[in-house]
Amino acid sequence: MDDLLGLVGHAEARASLDHCLKCTICETQCPVAAVTPLFPGPKYVGPQAERFRADGSVDHSVDYCSGCGTCTLSCPQGVKIAELNSQARAAMKADHMTVRDRIITQTIAMGKLMTPVAPLANAALRVRPLRVAVEATLGIHRDAPMPKATSQTFMAWFRKRPVPSAPAPRGPVVFFHGCAGGYFEVETSKMTVEVLEHLGYRVVVPEQGCCGLAQQSNGLFEQATAAVLALCDRLRSAGSDLPIISSSGSCTGMLKHEAREIMGVSSEALRDVGLRIRDTMEFLRELHEANALDTSFRRQDTTVVYHAPCQLKGQAMGLPAIDVLSLIPGVTIVESEVACCGMAGTYGLKKEKHAVAQAVGEPLFTLIRDAAPELVLCDTETCRWQIREATGLPVEHPISLVHRAYGLSATRARRADPGAPSGA
Amino acid sequence: MKRIVVIGGGLAGLVAATKLAGGGSSVTLVSEGLGGLQLSQGTIDVYGYNPGRVRAPMAAVAGAPAVHPYARIGTSAVRDGVAFLQDALGTGWLVGDPEVNLQLPTALGVLRPTALVPPSMAAGQAQAGQRWAIVGFRQLKDFGAELVAGNLARAELSRGGRIEARPIVLDLPPRSGESDASGLVYARAFDDPAFRERVVAALRPLLDGETAVGFPAVLGLTDPEAWTALRDALGVPVFEIPLPPPGIPGMRLGRRLTAVAKQRGVRFLAGSRAIGHEADGLRLTGVVVGTAATPRRLRADDVVYAPGGFESGAITVDSRWGIRERLFGLPLAGLDDIDRLITDEYWDDPQSVFSVGVGVDAAMRPVRSDGSVVYENLFAIGGILAGACRWREKSGEGIALGSAMAACRAIEAG
Repeated sequence: MDDLLGLVGHAEARASLDHCLKCTICETQCPVAAVTPLFPGPKYVGPQAERFRADGSVDHSVDYCSGCGTCTLSCPQGVKIAELNSQARAAMKADHMTVRDRIITQTIAMGKLMTPVAPLANAALRVRPLRVAVEATLGIHRDAPMPKATSQTFMAWFRKRPVPSAPAPRGPVVFFHGCAGGYFEVETSKMTVEVLEHLGYRVVVPEQGCCGLAQQSNGLFEQATAAVLALCDRLRSAGSDLPIISSSGSCTGMLKHEAREIMGVSSEALRDVGLRIRDTMEFLRELHEANALDTSFRRQDTTVVYHAPCQLKGQAMGLPAIDVLSLIPGVTIVESEVACCGMAGTYGLKKEKHAVAQAVGEPLFTLIRDAAPELVLCDTETCRWQIREATGLPVEHPISLVHRAYGLSATRARRADPGAPSGA
Repeated sequence: MKRIVVIGGGLAGLVAATKLAGGGSSVTLVSEGLGGLQLSQGTIDVYGYNPGRVRAPMAAVAGAPAVHPYARIGTSAVRDGVAFLQDALGTGWLVGDPEVNLQLPTALGVLRPTALVPPSMAAGQAQAGQRWAIVGFRQLKDFGAELVAGNLARAELSRGGRIEARPIVLDLPPRSGESDASGLVYARAFDDPAFRERVVAALRPLLDGETAVGFPAVLGLTDPEAWTALRDALGVPVFEIPLPPPGIPGMRLGRRLTAVAKQRGVRFLAGSRAIGHEADGLRLTGVVVGTAATPRRLRADDVVYAPGGFESGAITVDSRWGIRERLFGLPLAGLDDIDRLITDEYWDDPQSVFSVGVGVDAAMRPVRSDGSVVYENLFAIGGILAGACRWREKSGEGIALGSAMAACRAIEAG
């Protein structure tokens, strides 16, 4: 059967729509419809409007879907609501993709441009007139959070650091750092490597590219498919059967299910990577379930707010970060239980969506401000930028608390400054 | 510590998980999507019709026919289940008594028997001589104040006498420019004190000494004080009338119960579909769930199966009348007269297909027709049980709570 929207993944998602009972559960959970009447809700633009779609004729309100996937997660009948909406949006934008939506998906180019001139780039992003001009010409909102460039990429750090002398009895694992983990959220990548090495693994970091998630969420399926397939080849080049670990929660989701379920990518390479890849906290939880996790954590008397990102929850694996952090004595975890921070990848960057994204995130920001924790933890990069910008608090990947509780942060501080006191 | 996997996030699954986690077990609740409380009216039906209108639900439970789940569950488990739920939710969540049915108005303006209700509905208990105003909103779909008030006013109460009821329709959109809003949008608006003030300002001049004012059940989603604030500002008792889904009172109950379950240590695997199981002879050893890309095995000492019935796809029917239980392939009871499972008289005769389900022993373990147990450590509870037409009888919550308690007792004793 020819697919109506001409998209590979569409026929499969469309096949799920007759399971919709119109029960309204997705409507009640949608964080976007809760804050704006511009988006009539996932049931309306999803299974309901889908019946009227032919040859790409779609209603424009679907563009206000942030793609957070909360609808699919909450559907008791297995309807691929968010996937249908992503496909409808791609079809709608196909003949008038904006320059902005092409640019903001170029995550590696952004990293490569900014890293050599990190202080300058960071300063430029704080220059108001410049941001106003960017908003007017490109449509990237002047107040949207931007990544902070670092002077050294993760890849350079990994290459230049002394070769670990400790034995690696557990053998090799592949680390997938993702674009943001390579160029911007470099500390998260370093800490992940150090934790894995502490646990006795030898960490292998093959040269790797972008998973294409930003392109996918902006409807650039062709480019995103090429990117994800190239990435799969590179990750597999490091060795077959090795576990692949990533601290980029949303990129992991792209490899596990979004490339297949939204774009219809069906290749053996993707299937193989999807089966082997683990979110870092998921990997640690699996070790613990197999009684193979070192739980000699140092006590951390602290209260943290943990926000599980929408794209992590969409992987249907529960909340591994909470399961692992609960093993650290002294830690009190406040789970946000908020569906989405509003950013949803690149949604919150856009001029016309920024106010909606801020309203979506407001319950989370309020919860965090009220809790006033020492630290906020969240597994995905753009969400951390969003929460940092809104609350002014330190927001880190959950691995940072594990790193600290293993005493690795203290070790690193001593290495940098031999006079520093020991203890975490 | 026992490892228990609960499959299903409706009332039965949530209550069983909460009880078992509170008892010290390690409990993981697996749920594909959100459970049925989201769609419920937020009331606890124990027994409403058998088939005549029931006044004393527990007496009806005691007298349930042998094929009915209540015959296995027994009255003490139902009483314990209701008490456990009330206690777990805390004060101010459910009022009423499983021994006596209340008679509360529906969104069609008929009186529905139910046992326990949120306090925001209690003033809707019908009594002769009351004078009610029924308030609707022009922009709210699914609630016709004229229909509710008209039907209430023209019916004679079963014990004689009438209620005077008249409609008041306010022209007050929940958000500016919104002309066709769901109850959910109104419920969120009622969380905002400013919107409540606008309602009070519009409504107060129209009231005329009524004994109570009925509203659609949209008086706040997250603010538990929304309805009392409205009542106090109006200076008259108010009550909520449940709407078709999204069911706001059910959502409130579901959120509260989920929060309590988490407090007691229940781990939630949201969005995961149970896709298989592992067994060693007569004992289940694990449940396989589908996460993105990879199946995941959850080891289990006991499995509580609370997936719902036909409505959730736990029991399926194909076009050749093949009726099956999806996950474990459990034997089904109630299939004896397969040609008569659905009758042509859509509204009149009971559709016996809905009584098809899993037969269980007194511990809620699925059994074959000869009474032998399928797995020693598998417990089926709630809507999947055979022998009840829950919505016709108004027995869904009572069966869920009672069977959850019966299963928990067996698990905790084992």
